[in-house]
Amino acid sequence: MSKHVLIAEDDTALADLMANVLSKYNIRVTITYNGKETVEALEKEVPDLLLLDILMPVLDGHGVMRFIREKQLECPVIVLSNLSDKETKDRCKEMQAQNFFVKNDLDDDDLWPAIEGYLR
Amino acid sequence: MRKTIPSASNGIALKLKVLAKEKEDVRRKLVVTAREKEDVRRKLVITAKKLRIKAAQLAVTAREKEDVRNKLVKTAEKLRLKAAQLAVTAREKEDVRRKLLVTAKEKEDVRRKLLITADELKMSRKTLEKKVLERTKDLEGIRAKDEAILASIGEGLVATDKNGRILLVNKACERLLNWKKGETQGKLLSKVISMTDSTGKIIPEPERLITKTLKDRSTTTTTTTMYYKRKDGTSFPVAITVAPIFNGKELIGAVKVFRDITKEKEIEKARSEFMSIASHQLRTPLTAIRWVLSSLKREHLTEEQAKLVKTAHETSMNMASTIRRMLMISHLEEDGMEPEIEQVILQKELEKISRLHDAHRQRNGLELALQCPQDLMVRTDKQLLIEILDNLLSNALKYTPRGGKVKVSVAKTGEMIRIDVADTGYGIPQEEQKRIPEKFFRASNVASPVEAGTGIGLYMVYNIVRLIGGTISFVSQENKGTTFTLLFPS
Repeated sequence: MSKHVLIAEDDTALADLMANVLSKYNIRVTITYNGKETVEALEKEVPDLLLLDILMPVLDGHGVMRFIREKQLECPVIVLSNLSDKETKDRCKEMQAQNFFVKNDLDDDDLWPAIEGYLR
Repeated sequence: MRKTIPSASNGIALKLKVLAKEKEDVRRKLVVTAREKEDVRRKLVITAKKLRIKAAQLAVTAREKEDVRNKLVKTAEKLRLKAAQLAVTAREKEDVRRKLLVTAKEKEDVRRKLLITADELKMSRKTLEKKVLERTKDLEGIRAKDEAILASIGEGLVATDKNGRILLVNKACERLLNWKKGETQGKLLSKVISMTDSTGKIIPEPERLITKTLKDRSTTTTTTTMYYKRKDGTSFPVAITVAPIFNGKELIGAVKVFRDITKEKEIEKARSEFMSIASHQLRTPLTAIRWVLSSLKREHLTEEQAKLVKTAHETSMNMASTIRRMLMISHLEEDGMEPEIEQVILQKELEKISRLHDAHRQRNGLELALQCPQDLMVRTDKQLLIEILDNLLSNALKYTPRGGKVKVSVAKTGEMIRIDVADTGYGIPQEEQKRIPEKFFRASNVASPVEAGTGIGLYMVYNIVRLIGGTISFVSQENKGTTFTLLFPS
């Protein structure tokens, strides 16, 4: 059965591109465009991996991670943000995010090598 | 006496009777005489005794008299001397009196002359007073103007002598540092104003601008944000300029002008925050564009299409790195950047960085050599190190003419890593070399002919190197090339 990745990204173009990359690797992808939608999607189905943006409308990435911790969901999180300050990184680490990538530093062909390890 | 005797026998007896009588008379008379003589002798003896006594008394008296006489003689001698002295004194007194008379006369003359002079003086004094008053008024006017100018300067001003002792401060200075009027006079400037950097570390005296100005006899200005401590211990950010004061050629002190840049820092912070937000908003769509172009590159395209897509991709990459630098600078200037230490495999990162410049390098026919010990691991901030090396390599490639060579070599010496980035490029003119760490500086020999540059790359590098605990230096010769040397702890 193919793995399920939830992409939480408010930039629709980038979200679609990411989905496009992952679909090549036989991954089932769900996209949510804000934190609230993400929480709702998580309530319905816990994915194998969550690719989470931080700066999102309605509820931000930190809020989503708080929800996961509160509900004690078994869901690994990789943060893909364009925030690169230490404070944000530290907060994500505290919330037990598996990894943190700056989108600006990633090319499309960097995405799969960066996440595939978490899907085994 | 003989008497006539009447009968011969009767006459003789009578005569004898008469004779006996006479003899008796004589004897009696002799007895009387003897007695008288005895009396006389006694009297004489007594008289002699008396006389002796008298003589003795007289002798005593004579001695006393002699004594008295002697004393008198002495007294007389003294008196004579005294008289002589008195005579001399009298003469002297007379002389003095005469002189005094003369002097009195002279005095009188002088007094008269003085009176005349006094009159003249009075006149002169009046004139002088008038002049002094006018001049004082003028000077007071000038001084008041000077003081008003000094007092009105919004910037704090301190003048010191050549030993750094405070000669003068203006009102703004006292107000900014919470001092009372005149409190700082004559004190050592470095003792009175404590200066710290953004981390609160006190700047030691030899590194202070005033010390540098007095030593180098040249004007110095703050390049990074410094803080002054007020009297109550609170501090504020300052911008400082210190200039030497010369009297002819002799250095007599220094004058410092400083201003509170709290407002500027706030504006800077707001600007920085704006930059940060704007950059983030730019980053995401740019990432999308980059990804689209990147995936397009892998499609089957005509040669023309492939060329266009490649150019677009490169441009988007450059834009991404410009945004990254802008963000980094705003973080650096906010003093809010802390290194994040992690394991870095140097060779891998160097190869990655050099690949970013492949297109440019090939287009300009430049040769690049990387020399790095395999598997050399260092513990440092990866992003910051990449930023430094990317900038140095980018500059080396940008400022080396077609056909030139760029060489990056890495070596570990003890606990330090040394990375040299050497080029055979245009070099930096000698007189401009010390301006290299300045923001927006671009060497005059490359500003126009070569491609666009912002002059923030090396400014950033110098600031980042500090953050990772390293140092950077360079040697450069115009038209021969430049070698930058980075040293940092492994």
